[in-house]
Amino acid sequence: MLAEFKHTLRRMRGQMIGWGIGLALYGLLMVSLYDSIVGIEGFQELIASYPQELMAFFGDADFMAITTPKGYVGLYYFNYMTVIIGIFAVAACASLLVGDEEKGILDLVMAHPISRTALFWGRLLGYVAATVVILLVGYLSWFIPSGSSGLDLSWIELLRPFLPLFAQLLLFGTLALLLSMVLPSGRIAGMITGGLLVANYLLLGLSNLNESLKSFVEFTPLYYYQGGDAITELNWGWLAGLLAVSAAFVVLAWWRFQRRDIRVGGEGGWRLPSLPFRRRALPRGVSRHSV
Amino acid sequence: MSEETALMTQGLTKSYGKVRALRGVDLEVQRGEIFGYLGPNGAGKTTTIRCLLDLIRPNGGTVRVLGIDPQADPVAVRARTGYLPGELQLDPNMSAEGALRYFNALRGNKVDWGFVRQLAQRLDLPLKPAIKNLSHGNKQKIGIVQALMHRPQLLLLDEPTLGLDPLMQHEVLRLITEAKEDGTTVFFSSHIMSEVEAVTERVAIIRKGVVVEVAEPASLINRALRRAHVRFRQPVDTGPLANVPGVTVLSQDDGTSVLLQVEGEMDGLIKALAAFPVSDFETERPSLEEIFLAYYEASDEEAS
Repeated sequence: MLAEFKHTLRRMRGQMIGWGIGLALYGLLMVSLYDSIVGIEGFQELIASYPQELMAFFGDADFMAITTPKGYVGLYYFNYMTVIIGIFAVAACASLLVGDEEKGILDLVMAHPISRTALFWGRLLGYVAATVVILLVGYLSWFIPSGSSGLDLSWIELLRPFLPLFAQLLLFGTLALLLSMVLPSGRIAGMITGGLLVANYLLLGLSNLNESLKSFVEFTPLYYYQGGDAITELNWGWLAGLLAVSAAFVVLAWWRFQRRDIRVGGEGGWRLPSLPFRRRALPRGVSRHSV
Repeated sequence: MSEETALMTQGLTKSYGKVRALRGVDLEVQRGEIFGYLGPNGAGKTTTIRCLLDLIRPNGGTVRVLGIDPQADPVAVRARTGYLPGELQLDPNMSAEGALRYFNALRGNKVDWGFVRQLAQRLDLPLKPAIKNLSHGNKQKIGIVQALMHRPQLLLLDEPTLGLDPLMQHEVLRLITEAKEDGTTVFFSSHIMSEVEAVTERVAIIRKGVVVEVAEPASLINRALRRAHVRFRQPVDTGPLANVPGVTVLSQDDGTSVLLQVEGEMDGLIKALAAFPVSDFETERPSLEEIFLAYYEASDEEAS
């Protein structure tokens, strides 16, 4: 398992560097802009004058608290980082095992003395470690320069909201992994999970406008995402719930991986059932059984 | 299953949806043997090998590899086995050395790296370039090195010489023979008959998911039809030759030459020819390929 863990980390180093640099630059920029944004006269009034419908698309954030450190970090970082870093999580997990399988690489890897369980956990832990590294870079990019700005947050206050963010990334990542085990391709699993993530984000924002959506979004993961609110107090119940759902997805994905065939090209890969209108029309008078 | 058996399948079946890839494969390979597994594309060769390694799960039947059930203890089977897939795919961003070190790590870093270098040298494999920059033949060499590098008890090779030039094909066959001399059992599938004929001790012919014949290559060749072209010093009546059991006259020219088809041993024909003024006698030995094709033609005729 250790060999596979190291191998996964090595393969993800490009993603870690790319995402790390991007998030670090963004964090540094936003910290450096904090004092000037807070200092703009009438900024809160300006925000308050924006139409509600526009604000809804920024999710569940508290716009009126934007001039406070908590509100600023929450709005400009944690509010939409689930979607931004979620792209990495979904893409990485949807191809964590199936990517190599579709390329035909897994066939030879699995012919070595490594159990399916060890391979599964080695790769999953590699993904988790890569996610932690990316989040750590994001954390440091806010924490290190914050001392020289008015963004007065302690190390623990800034660390707390990274935990629900991590839990959300784990949840959507493991969902993508599970779907990649049951759907015909990793690409479809990634598209569906990515679509669910974006839809959940938008629905959560829209539920601020439409009360009837509230009861529905309560059943979605992002409803239990604290974002910047976790700076003051972490909701351990929500965090544990998100981790429990992720664990359930992991167990199901592992169970499925234990039992399935490792596919290679030309060996009868499976597909979704064909739809009636996709079936090729036969000449009149010729039955399908006679072909 | 005896201690001497390296590999055994009984009634092995595997379906992909409605496609029945294996329809009851029975095989038994002895330890230290080089066993050829012949069949055209889609006959079930790769599916059989992948069942042996628990990469795919059979629908029925029994499998034992080195006395172990691959489904019960796949890691133990794989630890003792070297596998070369038919369609080898490697991570294109790794170097050959990186890939081999990764495979070594999966084997618990037990491989003698000096032996890896020796294999790479013999196969003229560059270890440093990225795999994406290597030719198909060089990628195949990485596959061969990783299959041999831990000196396995059993080698499962699916088309081992695919994409290699003739010199390297020869070298790979030498490596296979050397592995056998060290006690390794070799099970390899191929549709290149000449290499099967050159190295194997027994072959199995698989057709549409069923093993239709298991025999020594020489026995298959001896059992097959062969042609004999006989020239005479003077015109003769070739009628008596047609009465020799197993001999059929295919054509004759004014009594000075005759083309015969002989089934089985040549002894009867040679004794009959002793009574004739023979000036020249030529026989055409069928290749394993011709025999193999004959199996397919015969089976198709039966089916139709």
